[in-house]
Amino acid sequence: MATALQVSGVRASYGDLEILKGVDIEVPFGEVHVLMGPNGSGKSTLCHVLMGKDEYEATGSALVDGTEVMGLPVDERARTGLFEAFQYPVEVPGVSLDDLLREMDEVRDDPEFQDRVEAMTETLDMSRFRDRAVNGGLSGGEKKRSEMFQMAVAGAKVAILDEIDSGLDIDAVRDVAHLVEELRSDDLGVLLITHYSRILRYMNPDKIHVMVDGEVVRTGGPEIAAELEASGYVDLVANEASIPTPEVTPFDI
Amino acid sequence: MKTLDAQASATAGGADPGWLAARRKTALDYYDKLDMPSDREEVWRYVDFDFALDDFNLVDAPGEAHEVDTGIAAALPETAGSMRLVDGLTTEVHNADARATFGSLRALLAEHADLFEPYVARGTPSDLNKFAAAHTAFSGDGAVLVVPAGIAIEEPFFIDVQATTSGTASFPLITLVAEQSSQASVVIRYRSDDDVNALVVPNLELCVGDNSHLKVTVVQHWGGATTSVSHLRAVVGRDGTLHLGEAGLGGALSRLQLQIDLEGDGSSANVVGAYFGDETQTLDYRYTMHHQGLNTDSDMFLKGAVQDDALSIFTGMIRIDEEAQKTNAFQTNRNLILSDGASAQSVPNLEILANDVRCGHGSTMGPLDDEQRYYLMSRGLDEPRSNRLLVHGFFNEALARFPEPAIAGVVTSWIDAKYRAAQEAGRV
Repeated sequence: MATALQVSGVRASYGDLEILKGVDIEVPFGEVHVLMGPNGSGKSTLCHVLMGKDEYEATGSALVDGTEVMGLPVDERARTGLFEAFQYPVEVPGVSLDDLLREMDEVRDDPEFQDRVEAMTETLDMSRFRDRAVNGGLSGGEKKRSEMFQMAVAGAKVAILDEIDSGLDIDAVRDVAHLVEELRSDDLGVLLITHYSRILRYMNPDKIHVMVDGEVVRTGGPEIAAELEASGYVDLVANEASIPTPEVTPFDI
Repeated sequence: MKTLDAQASATAGGADPGWLAARRKTALDYYDKLDMPSDREEVWRYVDFDFALDDFNLVDAPGEAHEVDTGIAAALPETAGSMRLVDGLTTEVHNADARATFGSLRALLAEHADLFEPYVARGTPSDLNKFAAAHTAFSGDGAVLVVPAGIAIEEPFFIDVQATTSGTASFPLITLVAEQSSQASVVIRYRSDDDVNALVVPNLELCVGDNSHLKVTVVQHWGGATTSVSHLRAVVGRDGTLHLGEAGLGGALSRLQLQIDLEGDGSSANVVGAYFGDETQTLDYRYTMHHQGLNTDSDMFLKGAVQDDALSIFTGMIRIDEEAQKTNAFQTNRNLILSDGASAQSVPNLEILANDVRCGHGSTMGPLDDEQRYYLMSRGLDEPRSNRLLVHGFFNEALARFPEPAIAGVVTSWIDAKYRAAQEAGRV
């Protein structure tokens, strides 16, 4: 069995600015990995580059269950099994979650899609959101719940969760962490991107990768989170100069 | 066929009662005197007429009608009454609800000569412009609904207005009256085949009595060669509510100029629009909301899209009289530009003389949103499918506010099909 996500030598630039300088990350099926790093380290860029957003020049390889996705259009990557949970899920006015689910079903040859929709609606208590506009008028926590719901019904093999903890109050952070653990499965590899270590208090990641200035500078077990909590990014990667320390808890958005 | 002249005017309505004959005569004078509107006038800006009214003639007899298409028929399984006007003349009336007066204007005038005078007198004045003058001078027939005081009718009335004969002008007059504490819903459908080069000048006159509730849904689906210049005038009495939805899909040029007078204290109007132009269509909306009473509320919410070389125009005026304190008035016009050659004009205006009001307007214009498309594609939807869903959602925001949800559903399917056809032809 191939690994869920195999990222090798991914480089990306935005105009003349090189943001990713050769990223290697491997996430096996069944595991939850965390990618941490200070502002501007390239975490979200990696997420967009893997999903295929066209504003970056990107090279390198990203295998999703053994299938190369670099160079594919965004929608083909999604149908290959890659899922992005957005940091700021955009509102799609006039399109209900049910409308979106119907379209997601139509583009997939997946006889179990509808069953998952019904099961996950129950599990994640989503019934009241299904006839509402996608992300319309939802609280931060509700948007993240909707993202996790879509991840679960899409039949994703790899989920990249882009700062799903940002902008949430502590209760909502705990809820979303529990959702990640609840949805952990042998058919899924998760790469959770975060700026803050607090979400890690509520989950059990298998590995933590620390990204600084476009490169993964350290990979290790959950103990890295404890180090980060104590000392921030500066001490953790002592040989990297002038790294900003994490900010305090942001305002809810 | 009859040319638009004094003799045609005098005989247009058959046997007019005296008050109507007098109106016609006055209107004919205006028709003779007034010039064709010019785009130098603000209310006609952006529009250029390449025809003269007397290029068109009145029919001697209506042409062959189309049956109601299946979508509309399915959306209206039961009606409180239905009728058909073809080339400006009534061809059939089915009156199911005996509590209301409903039917052909010409026939009902013969029975109740004076019943309609006060209502017609409140309609669009014939000196407003040459089309309005022509309407009163040459209108041969129309549809009338009067819902008596205290009567609430749930099922909608349906008025099927068709143009079938090229070279003709028709002037249907639609007068809808909800007397005190009554309730009714009316669906008006305009249609013609794509090759019918006709001019249709409908006038709608709505009288919403005290404490009554009138819902009106207009589905404009003229064929590609038909020109329509319509006027709508509504008066809303104390605590009355008008809920108006207009879907604009067809026509070479289709214009709707409306004025709603919120005359009674506590009256309100909810006006929704969804319009979609393609090829070389011009869709032209000139809306005036006139707050006169105390504590009046209005909301105009219009969403329009243009593709190919189409042009759309929305000018919205909220006028709040000095006496109309505690007014709440809002207008929103959002435009989707789907092709480089298409354009939209959106001009919101406010004229506020009272000092204790809440009033707002918003206007946007732009292509489909890249971030929304990226989001949908990240869920596995290819680009054309994502765009279709975004167009669908854009209009859904307006159609969800339409007075008759079943009709809104039919319009949605037509809009979706119009965009899809453009996609399949590679035009968007």
